Amino acid sequence: MKTASWQLPGEAGQLPNALGFLQGFWEEAELPAALGFTFELALEEVFLNVALHGADSSRVPSVVLELTACDTEVVLVVTDDARPFDPLTLATPDTTAALEDRTIGGLGVHLVRQMMDTVTYSHEAGRNRLRMTKNLNQP
Amino acid sequence: MNTENVDGITVALPSGRLDFGAAAAFQQQLEQAVAAKPRGLVVDCSSLDYVSSAGLRVFLVAARAAKAGSVGFAVSSLKPAVKEVFDLTGFGNVITLCADRAAAVAALA
Repeated sequence: MKTASWQLPGEAGQLPNALGFLQGFWEEAELPAALGFTFELALEEVFLNVALHGADSSRVPSVVLELTACDTEVVLVVTDDARPFDPLTLATPDTTAALEDRTIGGLGVHLVRQMMDTVTYSHEAGRNRLRMTKNLNQP
Repeated sequence: MNTENVDGITVALPSGRLDFGAAAAFQQQLEQAVAAKPRGLVVDCSSLDYVSSAGLRVFLVAARAAKAGSVGFAVSSLKPAVKEVFDLTGFGNVITLCADRAAAVAALA
């Protein structure tokens, strides 16, 4: 089992660094490239939700990324100390709406839920905690 | 991003990663392409490896601008991972997706 964690400021400008951490772990753990897309997307959507919507003007949230890979699954846990917010309560976007009626709000979380096997939220020790898993033994 | 002109149809060729950081520049380029009033605008995604919701938003904005300006709009040549993002969000229902560039150009002709 391989595991790594990293703390960084919850600012949109930090996104390339967050992705660099993920990509480094992917190479080190020799994980399938195709699965990397799913996790890069999940990391971008979740990290930006915190950076763009979780911050208040007085303070930049602290974000911790944790990656774990074993023979059967990869787990990404993102925690932050922004205001308590469960992204899984966001309404599912209407994916059948007409062009004029489409909105982007909630689309990122929708994608993460569709592409991951499990997504769970909890609030522990003053931090939002989003845990995402993907089985390694399926396409 | 490179653009080409095929029989009065503008073909835009984004490449690499269309993420939050790349979205603003991509949006500006597509808006400029629409503003030039070509017969149509095709986004050829054969070199596009990654798209997030920030990138999808640009396709949405461009499709609306094209419709408002009576410019035909189509997207072609999506790689499987990018295609999945379009499919999971139902964007393929409101944006014309074509297998390759020739089909997209033909669809707008």
